[in-house]
Amino acid sequence: MGIVEFELYSPSLVSNARALVAIVRKDWKHYWRYPLNAVSSIFQPLIWLTPVYFMGQAFSQDGQAHGFAQYSGTTDYMSFILLGAILTSFINAVFWGMGYALKTDMDSGVLESNWLTPSPRMLILFGRSLTNLAVTAVTSLTMLALAALLFGFRVSGSLLQAFVPIIPMLVGLYGFGFAFAALVLVMREANTMVDVSSFLVQIFSGSNFPVTALPKWLLPVSLALPLTYGMDALRASLLGTTPLLPLHWEIVLLLVFMVAMLWLGTWAFRSLERRVRRWGTLGQH
Amino acid sequence: MTVETQSLPAGSLARPSFSSDLRALWAVAYREWLYVVRYPTWALSLLVWPVIFPLLYLLTARALSGADGSGLAQFQANTGVGDYVGYIVVGTTIWMWQNVVLWNVGFSLRGEQMRGTLESNWLMPTRRFTYLLGSSIPHLLTMMLFLAISAFEFAVLFGVRFEGSLWLAMLVVLVSIPSVYGLGFAFASLVITAREANAFVFLVRGLVMIFCGITYPVNLLPAWMQPIAAFLPQTYIIRAMRSAALSTAGLEAIVPDLQILLVFGLAWLVLGYGMFQWMERRARKSGAIGQY
Repeated sequence: MGIVEFELYSPSLVSNARALVAIVRKDWKHYWRYPLNAVSSIFQPLIWLTPVYFMGQAFSQDGQAHGFAQYSGTTDYMSFILLGAILTSFINAVFWGMGYALKTDMDSGVLESNWLTPSPRMLILFGRSLTNLAVTAVTSLTMLALAALLFGFRVSGSLLQAFVPIIPMLVGLYGFGFAFAALVLVMREANTMVDVSSFLVQIFSGSNFPVTALPKWLLPVSLALPLTYGMDALRASLLGTTPLLPLHWEIVLLLVFMVAMLWLGTWAFRSLERRVRRWGTLGQH
Repeated sequence: MTVETQSLPAGSLARPSFSSDLRALWAVAYREWLYVVRYPTWALSLLVWPVIFPLLYLLTARALSGADGSGLAQFQANTGVGDYVGYIVVGTTIWMWQNVVLWNVGFSLRGEQMRGTLESNWLMPTRRFTYLLGSSIPHLLTMMLFLAISAFEFAVLFGVRFEGSLWLAMLVVLVSIPSVYGLGFAFASLVITAREANAFVFLVRGLVMIFCGITYPVNLLPAWMQPIAAFLPQTYIIRAMRSAALSTAGLEAIVPDLQILLVFGLAWLVLGYGMFQWMERRARKSGAIGQY
């Protein structure tokens, strides 16, 4: 009888990597098993943007939104909003990818058994978000191509430079995602929390409009969200809009956010997950 | 050989009658109500969504208006609408109503399928449509509460002035119920056999979002899109509600829309019931009742 070199019950870097690949493959297969849902995820953002497009036309003269330019520095409101929509999809992928995946596992009754595997639980969470990120990348690019045909989309800046603020922002979001997943474990309900929080973040981080257009009493909420600076820096890099702060300061803020959120999110997840196991409510929904 | 028949108690569920159907309806409605109160975050949804959903469009409109109001002047010239806030909140609220009905009523049977109880419930000796109807009652009540809370929050938080009549607004809601829920019934029937039901919800609510003018007048749409808007009852619900709640135009202004809505409502209820009978029979023949 041969000797098995690696086994999942003696966790190692290789076994963890194998677990990660298994999670991603399972989610990927699951996603494409329902092709209509996959197609609809391309059209969803377009559907949400259409009322904004026509509303913007009502506020424009010859397709140019001069009122909008007073806040943003560009009359091309659709390119501004399209970039916001794409970044919001990635933000949601991290929110949904982890908290919602836990809820799905709870409902289908496999969370407790998954929890018994000797893989680190945060690795399981991380794995559940990877397919979401990959799918978001595919669907966002397709959506952007279609939107460019329907509404028009023009960028003037450097794509490479645009990645500089995006990377620390997305990594920092994982911290949020871990803390959020822990809340789902405690409350055993995800839909309302995910929907409301991601929608609020979408509003206040300025995905559809420049945050300087917010009433003065709401502006601090926006400025307190690190994602606002990520959106702002991305648009300043690609569209040449007027940034809230000098670009290098926005990137420093995003790096600080990344470190702080990763630490805070990890701590919150570990302590709340331990509490849920003590309560014995992991298998309930 | 003599066969002894065991008599059943009068009015038993096993001997279908009108009163046993009513009792089954009550039992299903009560069960659904227990589901609703078991997850109390729905109460949070009732309070939060009426404010935050239109907020996205309202703040975008504010940005499009410009600091000096030049964009707003353009909007008024293009649409003839002065108060964009009231205009947008009415449109988005009707959209939210239809959206919730599609998810809650449309997925009530799907939920049973997922939990593995649809097949056993189907063996009940009661009309199967009762099951769908019973599930809809608690949702209808919570949605009426949702509409009332929305109106209150719009007045208090957004300063919307409802210059129209409360009675006319209620009349529009009443006349709209058959269209909105008929669509929900048709939908619930479809998802018994369709495995990718989410995509259908996205499609239907997407049509409402694009064509029914939730944030802009339908006449701003390109000419080829306007006939599609005319075939969607939500176009008329939104228009009638804007007139009833925001203007002083009175009953005469909304009568044509109400007449169209009654026709739509009848058609959707008949279609919803017919589709239910057909899909349910088809699902039983193919054995799809217990699958998902």
